[in-house]
Amino acid sequence: MRQSSVISRRVAAAAVSLVLATGAAACAGPEDTGAKGGASAGKGAAGGPQKGGTLTVLNSEAQTDFDPARLYTSGGGNVPSLVFRTLTTRNREAGAAGSKVVPDLATDLGRPNKDATEWTYTLKEGLKFEDGTPITSADVKYGIERSFAAELSGGAPYLRDWLVGGDTYEGPYKDKKGLASVVTPDDRTIVFKLKKPEGEFPFVATQTQFAPVPRAKDTGAKYEEHPVSSGPYKVVKNENDGERLVLERNEHWDPKTDEERKAYPDRIDVKAGLDEAVINQRLATSSRSDAAAVTTDTNLGPAELAQIGSDKALAARVGTGRFGFTNYIAFNPKVKPFDNPKVRQAISYAVNRTSVVNAAGGSALAEPATTFLPEQKSFGFTPYDHFPAGKTGDPEKAKALLKEAGFPNGLTVTLLHSTAQNRTTSPEIATAVQEALGKAGITVKLDGQEPNSFNEKRWSVKDAPGFFLSRWGADWPAGGPFLAPIFDGRQIVTNGSNYNHAQLNDPAVNKEIDEINKLTDLQAAAVRWGALDKKIGAQALDVPLFHPVYKRLVGKDIKNVVISDWTGVLDISQVSVK
Amino acid sequence: MTAPTDTSAPVAGIPATGAARQLLRRLRGRPAAVVSAGVLLLLVLLALAAPLFAALEGQDPYAYHDDLVDSARGGVPYGSFGGVSADHWLGVEPGTGRDLFARLLHGARVSLLVAVGATAVQVLIGVLVGLAAGLGSRWADGILSRITDVLVALPMLVLAIALTAVVPRDFPRPLLLILVIGLLGWAGTSRIVRAQTLTLKSLDFVAASRLAGSGRWRTARRELLPALAAPVITYAAISVPTNMVVEAALSFLGVGVTPPTPSWGQMLSTAQTWFRADPAYVLLPAGLLFVTVLAFTVLGDAVRTALDPREASRLRVGTRKETSR
Repeated sequence: MRQSSVISRRVAAAAVSLVLATGAAACAGPEDTGAKGGASAGKGAAGGPQKGGTLTVLNSEAQTDFDPARLYTSGGGNVPSLVFRTLTTRNREAGAAGSKVVPDLATDLGRPNKDATEWTYTLKEGLKFEDGTPITSADVKYGIERSFAAELSGGAPYLRDWLVGGDTYEGPYKDKKGLASVVTPDDRTIVFKLKKPEGEFPFVATQTQFAPVPRAKDTGAKYEEHPVSSGPYKVVKNENDGERLVLERNEHWDPKTDEERKAYPDRIDVKAGLDEAVINQRLATSSRSDAAAVTTDTNLGPAELAQIGSDKALAARVGTGRFGFTNYIAFNPKVKPFDNPKVRQAISYAVNRTSVVNAAGGSALAEPATTFLPEQKSFGFTPYDHFPAGKTGDPEKAKALLKEAGFPNGLTVTLLHSTAQNRTTSPEIATAVQEALGKAGITVKLDGQEPNSFNEKRWSVKDAPGFFLSRWGADWPAGGPFLAPIFDGRQIVTNGSNYNHAQLNDPAVNKEIDEINKLTDLQAAAVRWGALDKKIGAQALDVPLFHPVYKRLVGKDIKNVVISDWTGVLDISQVSVK
Repeated sequence: MTAPTDTSAPVAGIPATGAARQLLRRLRGRPAAVVSAGVLLLLVLLALAAPLFAALEGQDPYAYHDDLVDSARGGVPYGSFGGVSADHWLGVEPGTGRDLFARLLHGARVSLLVAVGATAVQVLIGVLVGLAAGLGSRWADGILSRITDVLVALPMLVLAIALTAVVPRDFPRPLLLILVIGLLGWAGTSRIVRAQTLTLKSLDFVAASRLAGSGRWRTARRELLPALAAPVITYAAISVPTNMVVEAALSFLGVGVTPPTPSWGQMLSTAQTWFRADPAYVLLPAGLLFVTVLAFTVLGDAVRTALDPREASRLRVGTRKETSR
């Protein structure tokens, strides 16, 4: 659901970077969760978690946005979720359990009406802001309204797309009447009226736009310098636009109303703007305050992993997680020869996922993918491999298909990729694809573009080439935000950022998406998303390449590392330093 | 340099007849120069015959070997020294398992070609602009010198990145790199040529040539160019390593040669994170780049000394002041 180009442009990028920048992951203790998508855990220091101490966060990206209206987060983010409580939030548990949505400010996940177009929430009792004033449903409504203001853009597009009148509302500064589709019958009740059934609404209610904002304290664009806390910590220092943040305890946060955030440390000290290699080196060395440090945005790279491999003590401090994310080759069937399904299938057969995975950092950092949906139950993962390429590709089968397609002497195509060193859409992946396709007689020319023009091209209906690398990340761990933007024909955006690369507009697919959105039983919905994925996969509109795996180091004094399948990275609200 | 007059000899330091032979003789007397030249010759040979040597090893610079890298450990090569074996003489690249020996040789082609080509472009433009500025009217000199100044002041790398980014991908990258580095880097040569021309212009043998009825162009060709050879050759020899480093920097930043074509700079850029996990991968291209740059620099220095008029003249008296004027 991404219509305006400014907002939507952020989605895919944000789904990766911000989710990770603000995301959380966990690993709890030595037990193996068993599930494939489960998180294995860095054990961290011994002994039970205790209150107290200062937790240092070493990050590369500064928290430039700290306004709940402007943040693009999955599940409320990592550092932001220490300050902002939302109607619902992600379950702060390791592995698959962590991909569930749970109540936060609200008493439950929301009560839908019969066709899931109206959602009612009741706030818990005893909720207070950092200044001691009680949190009311009007504050939640005001927080949502602010996110519609043009000067506070940046959040996910769902509210704008889903709420009745959301597409024309301009925010509380311009429109004093407010948004009529958000109703607050009393101080503890809030009702949302949606344009169409949205069974996954409780997931959207985890985003920071659902955090309460007191109207009297709103300073517009300057609010992010000191956002009023509803969570366990308040911001006491914000220097250089989020490069240095200090959070201290919010005395008015009542742990009895919050089952999710453990909030062990007394103080959180965020130091950003560091080089990634420096962050990993400092965490590995763990001297002085770095012993009680974590990072919420820096993964271990392949070389660092190779280095750690021989050091058992260090390896025990590595947390592993999976975030719903798929890297794939996209086809634009409007461009020849990709209009021919046999050509697309030939490429699907020719791909060597072993070399692609190696290019992405090896089997510890990437898992080969044959499905578009990530391999977690919450997405509705249904295994399929319509064009079995095996581990290293099937060039013979590919050649046979090319012959049938009318290219007995092979063909030459151009692959668009980015020059960013991200190991997802980067030259390494592109050359691995090129190498494998070469064996099947497909000569691949590489067209590497710097990230901005790369994104502009792949997101344009008009200029998108026929063959390019792309990626998609989940806004929440369910099939909806994964499949709908990519395969719903009504979400083809002709004058903005289009993510439906294949420009698929199949009435049957569109109808099924609408049907699943009506379901409020999320498990039933997941099964149908999985079936839909399998069905669309047969058309070879893309070649899923791999799902990334995140590995991160923690300092040697860090305890209680919890990595959920929702974010794939350590959850900062669970960490203890004592 | 076909029939130079003897008048040029005392000033320029080299009588142009047999200048090359004399230069060679002088260089031969310097062991450092001989070694450098030998190293460069070997490198050029290896680069030219890269496919041959790679075939001798039995490897292709582009073929992946997934079985030679440890996928579970970030793709680090199995075995010691970056996976050195009888099949892969210098080991393999982490992540891909591509043969490093073959890639280094093929990489040398790009690195040497771009460095030498760009230097040639720089010398050509630099000499022309410098001569025109030195011999032209005050206006021409003013304009050309200001252009040169601006070019010196511009951050070359930033401009080169911008230029390489806007050119269509189909344009051959090595040629593009030669042009971009050449077109942005001639200012140094042009300044030296202009300064030297201004000095030479006022000297007797040039004045004599003018009085004898030679035009500007003829004077430049017959009298000035031979005399300029020494500083220009020297400067060019020093520019080659600089250009090689610029190519490495551009490839390092991802705007150089297109993958999978190897170049030393491009190899260095992917190798940078591996310096601890697989030192061989970093040391090989870095070492080769170092050796080449060093060889060019030493040779350039030797050429400069050999062409120095004070060296040339056995009678050192009286030449110093004239050349330094």
